[in-house]
Amino acid sequence: MFYGSPFTVNVGEQQYMATDPSISLKIRTALAEYLKRDSATILTTQHLRDDLGLDSMAVIELLYRIEEAFDLQIPDQDLVGLTNVGHVVSYVEKRLGKTTSPAPTKKPAKPSKPKGKKKS
Amino acid sequence: MRSRVVVTGLGIVSPIGIGVSDFWKAALAGQSGISAITSFDPFPMDGYRSKVAGQVRDFAVERFVDSAHGERVDRYAQFALVAAKEALADSGLQMAKENPHRVGVIVGAGMGGMVMGEREITQLYQQQKPHRVHPNFIPVITLNSASGIIAMAYGAKGPNLTISTACSSSAHALGQALHCIREGRADVVITVGADASITPLVFAGFCSLRALSSKFNDHPEKASRPFDRLRDGFIMGEGAGTLILESAAHAKKRKARVYAEIAGYAATSEAYHMVIPREDGLEVAHTMRLALADAGVTPAQVDYINAHATSTTIGDAVEVRAIRRLFKSRADKITISATKSLIGHTLGAAGAIGGIASVLALHTGQIHPTANYDDPDPACALAGLSRSAQERRVKVVLLNAFGFGSNNAAVVFKHVKREM
Repeated sequence: MFYGSPFTVNVGEQQYMATDPSISLKIRTALAEYLKRDSATILTTQHLRDDLGLDSMAVIELLYRIEEAFDLQIPDQDLVGLTNVGHVVSYVEKRLGKTTSPAPTKKPAKPSKPKGKKKS
Repeated sequence: MRSRVVVTGLGIVSPIGIGVSDFWKAALAGQSGISAITSFDPFPMDGYRSKVAGQVRDFAVERFVDSAHGERVDRYAQFALVAAKEALADSGLQMAKENPHRVGVIVGAGMGGMVMGEREITQLYQQQKPHRVHPNFIPVITLNSASGIIAMAYGAKGPNLTISTACSSSAHALGQALHCIREGRADVVITVGADASITPLVFAGFCSLRALSSKFNDHPEKASRPFDRLRDGFIMGEGAGTLILESAAHAKKRKARVYAEIAGYAATSEAYHMVIPREDGLEVAHTMRLALADAGVTPAQVDYINAHATSTTIGDAVEVRAIRRLFKSRADKITISATKSLIGHTLGAAGAIGGIASVLALHTGQIHPTANYDDPDPACALAGLSRSAQERRVKVVLLNAFGFGSNNAAVVFKHVKREM
């Protein structure tokens, strides 16, 4: 059903860990689900509003899904910088304590630890 | 001179059919839409005294409307969108040719977005994570989400209102739409009733009120039995009905097919009790009298009453008392039927769905049966009630709707001649 909860974004660890656990893919998959299009067509360079057509409410809904998928809380003051897909990816990486850039072959993000680390 | 107002399009989502033609076929056959509740799963039904309801089965909004609108709203508003889409198509109205500011939307809804509302509240209290409350919670539960989304879906920029008076909500929506067009504030009003709140909390609430039937859990199709001796409470239902109301002049100009005229309306309060009607039926009789006067017809002209008749012990008897009070000896010459015997009580949708049954009676000359009227209760016997469909030339119909909060409404529909 619509607005199912916990959110049926299908970005849970089980689905994607086996193939590609990268944060970028997870975020692009969440976006693809939200926009009902192929995740391959979503690029990190795309602007959320200008390229993907998300209005301000849609961005809030997307971030709500991302908070769920990564067990994060994104404070209001951090929203300002999140205008393209790449911003969201690097923001999440930073928040999860991963260094910059994908480096996907390393260990997948540990979903258990990130809670405490509240930067910014 | 005030404009006459006609009905030019119909649409419905009901427990006995999505779409007017399926609904009407099932209604004339006396088919019951009441069944055991399954939607609570995995929440157990054991603790509920009543276990049956009129549920809309296999509803998937994306089969009917654009997901950009359908997925943004709760179940009741999805029903409203689907019923509005059908009614607009049925009316032949083309929004591209209309002045959008002259097309309004008036919705009657009793409970609103309770499916999401209830889930979010439950999660918040269980998990105590305020940041996990869904960003759409407020826009979805706000009671005008249905009237808003319909306007957005069709570009209707005229008056946009939601009326919430519990079980009489959409009878008032019809009445207010009538006023709106009469007063020249709109040419067309998309008039809707919608509710979908068969949820664990709301259903428990009605159980606790001792308002629901509990004796027929093993025979759901027998549970809704207005005017019958064995009735023991109403059956919760869900659904939506839409009627396109339009000024007669506007309908004529675009050569629309006219189902009926909506000719009169009355709104009153008994100022008496939150959930119990006045037993003497005085206020109900008064409301019906006012609506008939508004329509310019006398009680002697009424052929058919689509009764409020929820299948409660007190309510049905009071309505019959009021009918006898107003129509006197003629009461037994009027054909009566109770739409709730088929689909249960759809709360805020009941007035609109009863309105559709009324309009179809005028249009087709057929009146749907009152299911389970097996053993007439002497306290509310009327000769015009029947377990079978009835045929009759119908010229004037009276639609009753009463709501918690001591609220009464009555609407009058009239037959129209071709050339109107």
